[in-house]
Amino acid sequence: MTRYGAELKLVLRSRIAAGALIFLFVLSALAVWSGISVTQRQDAAIERVQAASASDLATVAKVYGQPDGDAGYGAYYTFHLTWDPPSALAFAAVGQRDIQPFTLRVRLLGLQQQLYESENINPELALPGPFDWSFVLIYLAPLAVIVLMHDLVAGEREAGRLRLLLSLPGSRGLWLRRLAARYLMVFAALALPLAFGLVLMQPPFLAGLGMLLIAALYLAFWSGLGLLVAAMVRSSGAGAAGLLGCWIVLTLILPTLATSAINAAIPVARGTDLTLAQREVIHGAWDRPKKETFDVFFVNHPEWRGTPPVAGRFHWKWYYAFHQVGDEAVAPQVAEYRASLAARERWSERSGWVLPTVATQVLLHRLADTDLAAQLAYQDSIAAFHRRIRYFYYPYVFEELPFTAADFERLPEYQPRGVGGSIALGSLVAIALAALLLLMLGLRRARRLGVNQASRAGGD
Amino acid sequence: MSGATIRIAREEWRALARSRVAVLAGALLVLLILTATFISLQKQAAIDEARSQYQAEQVEEFYNQPDRHPHRMVHYGQFVFRPLAPLAFFDFGVDSYTGDMVFLEGHRQNSANFAEARQSSLMLRFGQLTPAFVLQTLAPLLIIFLAFRALAGERERGTLRLMLAQGISGRQLLSGKLLAHAGVAGAILLPALVALALMASSAGASLAQAGLMMLAYTAYLLVWTLAALLVSTLLPRGRDALLALIALWMVTVVLLPRGLPELAAATETAPTRIETEVAIGRDLKSIGDSHDPDDPYFSDFREETLARYSVDDVLDLPVQYAGLVSIEGERLTSQLFDRYASEAFARQDRQGTLVRNFGIASPLIAVRQLSMTLAGTDLDSHQDFLNQVERYRYGFVQELNRMQAEQIPAVDPGEDPRIDASNWREIPGFSYVEPDPLAYGSGRIVATFAILALWLAGLALLYAFAGRRLVWIAR
Amino acid sequence: MTLDQNHPAALLEARNLQHSFGNHRVLDDLSLRVGPGEIYALLGGNGAGKSTTLNIFLGFIKPTSGHAVVGGVDPAAEPDRARTQLAYVPENVALYEHLTARENIDYFLHLASAERDRATVIDPALDAVGLASQARDKRVGGFSKGMRQKVAIALALARNVPVLLLDEPTSGLDPHATAEFNELLEAARSRGIATLMATHDLLSAAAVANRIGFLREGHLDEEIAKAQGARFDVEALFRRYSEKRERLPA
Repeated sequence: MTRYGAELKLVLRSRIAAGALIFLFVLSALAVWSGISVTQRQDAAIERVQAASASDLATVAKVYGQPDGDAGYGAYYTFHLTWDPPSALAFAAVGQRDIQPFTLRVRLLGLQQQLYESENINPELALPGPFDWSFVLIYLAPLAVIVLMHDLVAGEREAGRLRLLLSLPGSRGLWLRRLAARYLMVFAALALPLAFGLVLMQPPFLAGLGMLLIAALYLAFWSGLGLLVAAMVRSSGAGAAGLLGCWIVLTLILPTLATSAINAAIPVARGTDLTLAQREVIHGAWDRPKKETFDVFFVNHPEWRGTPPVAGRFHWKWYYAFHQVGDEAVAPQVAEYRASLAARERWSERSGWVLPTVATQVLLHRLADTDLAAQLAYQDSIAAFHRRIRYFYYPYVFEELPFTAADFERLPEYQPRGVGGSIALGSLVAIALAALLLLMLGLRRARRLGVNQASRAGGD
Repeated sequence: MSGATIRIAREEWRALARSRVAVLAGALLVLLILTATFISLQKQAAIDEARSQYQAEQVEEFYNQPDRHPHRMVHYGQFVFRPLAPLAFFDFGVDSYTGDMVFLEGHRQNSANFAEARQSSLMLRFGQLTPAFVLQTLAPLLIIFLAFRALAGERERGTLRLMLAQGISGRQLLSGKLLAHAGVAGAILLPALVALALMASSAGASLAQAGLMMLAYTAYLLVWTLAALLVSTLLPRGRDALLALIALWMVTVVLLPRGLPELAAATETAPTRIETEVAIGRDLKSIGDSHDPDDPYFSDFREETLARYSVDDVLDLPVQYAGLVSIEGERLTSQLFDRYASEAFARQDRQGTLVRNFGIASPLIAVRQLSMTLAGTDLDSHQDFLNQVERYRYGFVQELNRMQAEQIPAVDPGEDPRIDASNWREIPGFSYVEPDPLAYGSGRIVATFAILALWLAGLALLYAFAGRRLVWIAR
Repeated sequence: MTLDQNHPAALLEARNLQHSFGNHRVLDDLSLRVGPGEIYALLGGNGAGKSTTLNIFLGFIKPTSGHAVVGGVDPAAEPDRARTQLAYVPENVALYEHLTARENIDYFLHLASAERDRATVIDPALDAVGLASQARDKRVGGFSKGMRQKVAIALALARNVPVLLLDEPTSGLDPHATAEFNELLEAARSRGIATLMATHDLLSAAAVANRIGFLREGHLDEEIAKAQGARFDVEALFRRYSEKRERLPA
């Protein structure tokens, strides 16, 4: 029996500790399973949508893909599908994927009136947040650490063993060993189910490792805090109460306060504004001379300036031009809107510099590519695709070329954006520093135990 | 209530008042409720102002459109914004997850966009600071922290045996402790109660709703008070009581409310928006295609129309035939919209029912439902909003189609036929009728109160039993 | 620090120990020496400074002035090294209740970084303290104080340390257990261990100690040594002890 083995056995002898670990393991496994089921449902939905969209496209192609087909009609009735498959890590941190759309169809019309469509979600189910591994890590794992750590020192004192323990040589390493044993067990209870999920879902090796590293750092933070509090309090009751207080403040109170502050300080009404403004530009075009629209359109699209002029009330090239002009007209609002969303995201990350719970959330979901930034990246890829669509149709529309069945075969196809997960470096440094600081403080406090606590415990 | 009971309660209050931690935690919670109320009221005011201003501007914009072909106005469309219910500040419910702005146009059903949750970082998922969040999630924790030692502490110190030996009955002791901690729960509720009462009387909210809401929260906090005291009575050590209670809180307040929706979502496959659109398009085609001159449905429609007006050719109709086709087309589309929407709502209701039924295991699920319903921010009221919006959409589109049929000449309309802009003013703006939760939700409200009552009765029974057997428990 | 070359035999030594908590002086110029095979009883009432003395030897607190030496090491300077030289038996020996006697010793040996072959030292140590072999594999949860003490002293013997510190070892023991305990100390003495026991039990002190120090208000009032082969005059001791106690402020 090694020294660590002895410590592990000791922890598992405590029914509460063993129960907490088993509970954590079971929940972690359930969460991994639940996360995998969410991503599989989304993958299945994407496949269904692809099938539905393909059959829809086939119908449109049959009607409008005639030898003398008009690209204007073809483009008007053709919806181009985009989709955002869950990353291989999304199962561990579902993030916003339950509320953000992961499939969207766009047409040659103005992008800004199509980009912000919502998915049919059940808001009541989304309200409490997804049950995934990141939830188990952020909320539940600290509670397991608290159960295992709160009476680390006070438990020995209450059992009357503290002086005997401290009288032994090498007792300085004792607390570090006990901390390490508990830390490893909590980590194992969390990480084993995740590792199983990683093997199943096959994310890039380094990304999976990053997930484990984030968990390791977050748990190290809580273990350090646990040791610090355990070494400070006189009774196990006070240890439990103190640590739970920290947990409540760090996972419930401060993040909600910070969210309120950020969302109040950075309004995002520009989304509404730009939608309304774009409508005015687009519909106003019907009542303006066509030349006005074309003059604006040709500024950015001079290559079509020489194409045949429009005569009569209606022409598709004019129609699509004023849609594009509508998008261009609201570009400043779009930029502002995007900037305000990015600012919210940035300030959330910044609040993670002082809130390890938030830092962990940021890290996990950035790595899994399921946060707001991921949705914005998806929107960017839709915008790029919309541009490809425009430049695909424009020659047909502006040169007035026939749009045939063969052209329907050549429609641009959406390529899902590449792997977007990354490490939020600032948050990583923040959580690593927080973990290091608390471990150091905790260990220092535990080392001084011999001098202070034991002598007081004896009393004279 | 005996003198001893009151004396015991007073001692408990004194002990709490002398504990710096208890006073600090209590003060913190009250401060949080006040902050949450203040922030939420401000947020509600800001949302109300923005939405009503947008709404008014939108109606004006619509009226200010120039002479146009009515079909242009069908696609110019209308934007509608969902107003917040007066009590929404207390519990924003699903409002942050549903879009607040819908664009209405002909033969398309657009989604409600710009939901707060989609425009916030993930931090929002930690929860939103509303009075409901504080009362549902944090107040039970305070109750646990103040009460877990109530009896276990007496036992640890040995004072329990002393008291029992002096002839104080278990019943007196436990009812004294209950009185003390119920008082604490009342003190926690007080600021929220005042805020609700003020809002209910000033903002035109229903007093009955506010009253029922307070009743729900009172019952909920009493459930936690009883649970905390019961566990404190049954477990010998304060530490064990605390851990057991936190485990109970974890399971009922955090775990079940998150896990059950996942279960509900997994039980039924919800078609995506695109699948629904494609399906509606297919169904519409199978009924009839107005662009196809040989389409049987629209051939019949033409024959019927001609017969109704007793003419032989559509050009002889006193109205524009294309306008009539638009009206018929819109009618067909709208029927399909209604059918698919009611299917989706029914599915959401089934999922909600599943969660609520399991909710017997968690008083939080019960109180959360009650709170959202009574605040007018539950899923039903959102669905009702969408229904009202669809009815309005159908109404104004058909009105414009009617204008087209009646005012656009059927023969030689010219290249760019338009009707007078004064016509737009005949279309009233969207006026939202706040649904009455007490009417549409009465069954659910009663059922949910019954769940809370069940919890209260069960715990009270166990507590009374523990009081009778306290001497045996305290051995 | 350099050791006292004049008294190489002292395993445990206090030299002019002073200790104060704030303005309150707990130890006042305390000096004592315990040699190999010696049992020193530090006799005193509540608050006399017995525990503070033990805490200083244990390295739990540092004396305000003066020095303590344990097996040649100053616990104030090198507490961990000093602790390799001593074994401590608290007033109430608390062990890991879910472990057996043997497992407890094994685990504590582990903690004490005793790298020796544990299997071969545990049983002889348990033999020496006379813990019945059928009790060795029982969980210590049901053990009496006397049996727990045996386990603790067996641990000390198994660690093979030169110094034994005992804190009120006989409080709460019945006469039979006290007699057994006294025999235990003989086992330690015969191995050349220097034993310091802090106690207020005069009878037990008289029965086993070579020397008795009367501690009063942190000051060693008097030290009485037992002549070789002789016995303490218990009555005389008791008169002195109670006389000194009466001089305490009421």
